[in-house]
Amino acid sequence: MKKEIQIIAYKCKKCGKLHFPFHDRCLACKSRDFEQVRPAGNAKLLTFTRIYNLPWGFDQRYLTIGVAEFENGIRAMGQIAVDEKYDLKVGQVMEPTWAPVRYEYDEAVYGLVLQPLA
Amino acid sequence: MRDVAVIGVGMIQFGRRDEDSLMDMLAYASLKALDDAGLGDQSVDAVYVGNMGGGAIQHQSAIASSLVDRLSLLPAAAETVENGPASGGSAVKNGLLAVASGYYDTVLVVGGEKMRDLTGWRATDFVATMTHPTAEYIYGITLPGMAGMFTRLYMEKYGVTREMLVAVAIKNQDMGGLNPYAHVEMAITKEGIYDNPASIVNNPVVADPLHLYDACPVSDGAAALILCPLDKIKNPAKPSVVIAGFGQATDTQTLQEREDPTDLKAVTLAAQQAFERAKLKPSDIHVAELHDAFTILEIAESEHVGFFKKGEGGKAALAGKTKLGGQIPINVSGGLKARGHPVGGTGVAQVVDIVWQLRHELPKNRQVKNAQNGLTVNFGGFGNNVLAFVLRRVQQ
Repeated sequence: MKKEIQIIAYKCKKCGKLHFPFHDRCLACKSRDFEQVRPAGNAKLLTFTRIYNLPWGFDQRYLTIGVAEFENGIRAMGQIAVDEKYDLKVGQVMEPTWAPVRYEYDEAVYGLVLQPLA
Repeated sequence: MRDVAVIGVGMIQFGRRDEDSLMDMLAYASLKALDDAGLGDQSVDAVYVGNMGGGAIQHQSAIASSLVDRLSLLPAAAETVENGPASGGSAVKNGLLAVASGYYDTVLVVGGEKMRDLTGWRATDFVATMTHPTAEYIYGITLPGMAGMFTRLYMEKYGVTREMLVAVAIKNQDMGGLNPYAHVEMAITKEGIYDNPASIVNNPVVADPLHLYDACPVSDGAAALILCPLDKIKNPAKPSVVIAGFGQATDTQTLQEREDPTDLKAVTLAAQQAFERAKLKPSDIHVAELHDAFTILEIAESEHVGFFKKGEGGKAALAGKTKLGGQIPINVSGGLKARGHPVGGTGVAQVVDIVWQLRHELPKNRQVKNAQNGLTVNFGGFGNNVLAFVLRRVQQ
């Protein structure tokens, strides 16, 4: 079953600025009053990289990571599920999924995984 | 506020120093600075140590308390300053404010790191702990990865090319080869790392579009300086150099929350503050040490501090304007790219290199002729905590 995207963004009730991740005070107006907002729709890729020198915890040859913007303006980092030969482009529309992004003590840690739209 | 002079500097060679502990390196650099200042067996009032990973890598905390004991500087005030890769710059700032305020007259500032105790896998993770734990780190993002994403945006917006990045890499490694304190002493050629079929072997991708020779090495090393009020210096043996201005600014932790992720606001603000306090402008600077952890950062910072207009920094590097003898020589030491980047030490080492330049103490092949004013930029996180210092040679 497809898992719900567990990203929660925070919209300032005073000025409307959208935040992700969480801040205790609005980055624009300092208000402490937020409403929770879930990402909506697909996500447009803003930038990406393919990393070959991986950090501890990743026993694989490379990782593709990018930042994408959802249709309601929330921006988030995520892994990109494409192979090395895939010709990824900035501006490409991606389908967001919630899937394991790393394993800690054999437990899956879930996060945003972006896949190119078919 | 009092004018603050740098009266002593010291550095040890950066690189892989298996024979030395973190404390050895901090002590060696400190003793060199004390000797350079002519303090001999005298003590100091306070010690600030820039270090990021003593606790995480060496399993040693309270580094400054240990250092004053080892150096017989008791009962000097002492503390460790941790601010990621800007720890060194933050230690310099703390020393500067302590002397400028009148609280202390003689301060030792030392920064250092011993990173080669870690495997590459662990070192990459150690540095990545600066990223946001749940919005970035969990994905396996690394600092080269952050720089890769930034580079892609900068290339698209400003037309920076790989050839421009290669020009920075070659310049800085050429200079590193002349610097006895540099980690990387190997000169590289354009044919070897760029326009040759073999270059993909010599210079593989580390974080697309960045390649191996776009990144600084993981280094061990330390650097130190002694600060005192300018008006306490009587009959100086060496030309006096003052920290004429400093600036520091922060930005969002995540790149994604910056309205324009190519805009390094903290660099601009820190440099503006430093210039205002020093009553100087970018065109008054004769030599600069910028935080080129990645080649793209030297180009971007050269624009953000005001040496070049946005989009012109890469062209300037390609045209040789940032070489020794050029319009504004940048990273004559080799920069982080070749001198190396022991994270807690870099911000101090940059100031040490500029002091040598302003004293006119370097050999001809590294000395900026008649340099009077210098700038350093120490870039923490991915530009979310930046310090800038303007240094000035005092006219005797």
